[in-house]
Amino acid sequence: MTSEKFEPLDPIIHSQVRLAVLSVLITARHADFNYLKEETGTTDGNLSTHLAKLEEAGYIQVKKAFRGKKPLTTCALTEKGKSAFARYLRALESYFPAEK
Amino acid sequence: MNEIEAKEEIRLIKAMLEKTRQATAESGTLFIVWGVLIALALIGNYILAYFQEYEWEWLNWVAMTVIGWVYSVVYGIRKKRKEPVRSYVQAAAHHLYFACGAGFLMVGIALPALHVYSYEAIVILVAVVSGILFFVMGGIYEWPILRWFGFVWWLGALGMSFIKGPGKRTLLFAVLFVACYLVPSFFLRSKYKKERATK
Repeated sequence: MTSEKFEPLDPIIHSQVRLAVLSVLITARHADFNYLKEETGTTDGNLSTHLAKLEEAGYIQVKKAFRGKKPLTTCALTEKGKSAFARYLRALESYFPAEK
Repeated sequence: MNEIEAKEEIRLIKAMLEKTRQATAESGTLFIVWGVLIALALIGNYILAYFQEYEWEWLNWVAMTVIGWVYSVVYGIRKKRKEPVRSYVQAAAHHLYFACGAGFLMVGIALPALHVYSYEAIVILVAVVSGILFFVMGGIYEWPILRWFGFVWWLGALGMSFIKGPGKRTLLFAVLFVACYLVPSFFLRSKYKKERATK
């Protein structure tokens, strides 16, 4: 297999944390910041940076509110994010040898 | 990126999907609460029938239904406020629970109270709605055994329509209720506990 056969991977998704976040959000209507932090095993600052990148690209929508007196940040995948994730999966498939 | 790295990414995606599925699994709490309430209502029915106080049977069922709905609404609001993630599967299941809850109210209380049909038909129609509940749940949660419970409810509904007399019908309904409602509810609960333990 030559490198020309590989489809390019979206650099915004091509990061372990961002891919993990999108994988959670693809089946979720929304997920809160602490849940994403726990499931991706990252820190507050690191996750915030990755979420900002995804939000800038229009892949996720971040909402900030309050639950009682505590701040609550929730994330949801946008239509653009869903399409980008689907494209990313298709591109990943190109790295596997075609089944005969 | 090479094939090994691509496989690693696929493994990560699958792991995250599985974690979300486990975090949003059905706990079965409301099923057990409703199961206890319906069991109490059925026992109440037999006690009232024993003393031939048939005129209070409606109050027995209405009281249990009101308690169940109030508990379900409070539980639902509190759970929604606390849940860190909400999946599309949960959203679909909650719509199904609400639809079937409304269906039970219609076929079990509202329509017979409006004299649309005889009280003797209630258990048959409740069995039909229960069949829909379990069949669709089996599809949503990808758990085929629940679909079979749905089929048994429908067969039970047909069976009850051949039985004459409300007492015998209610007895068959009670058997169906234990086998096809309480048993799967405890299955759901134990599956949920196992998944939580492996998380």
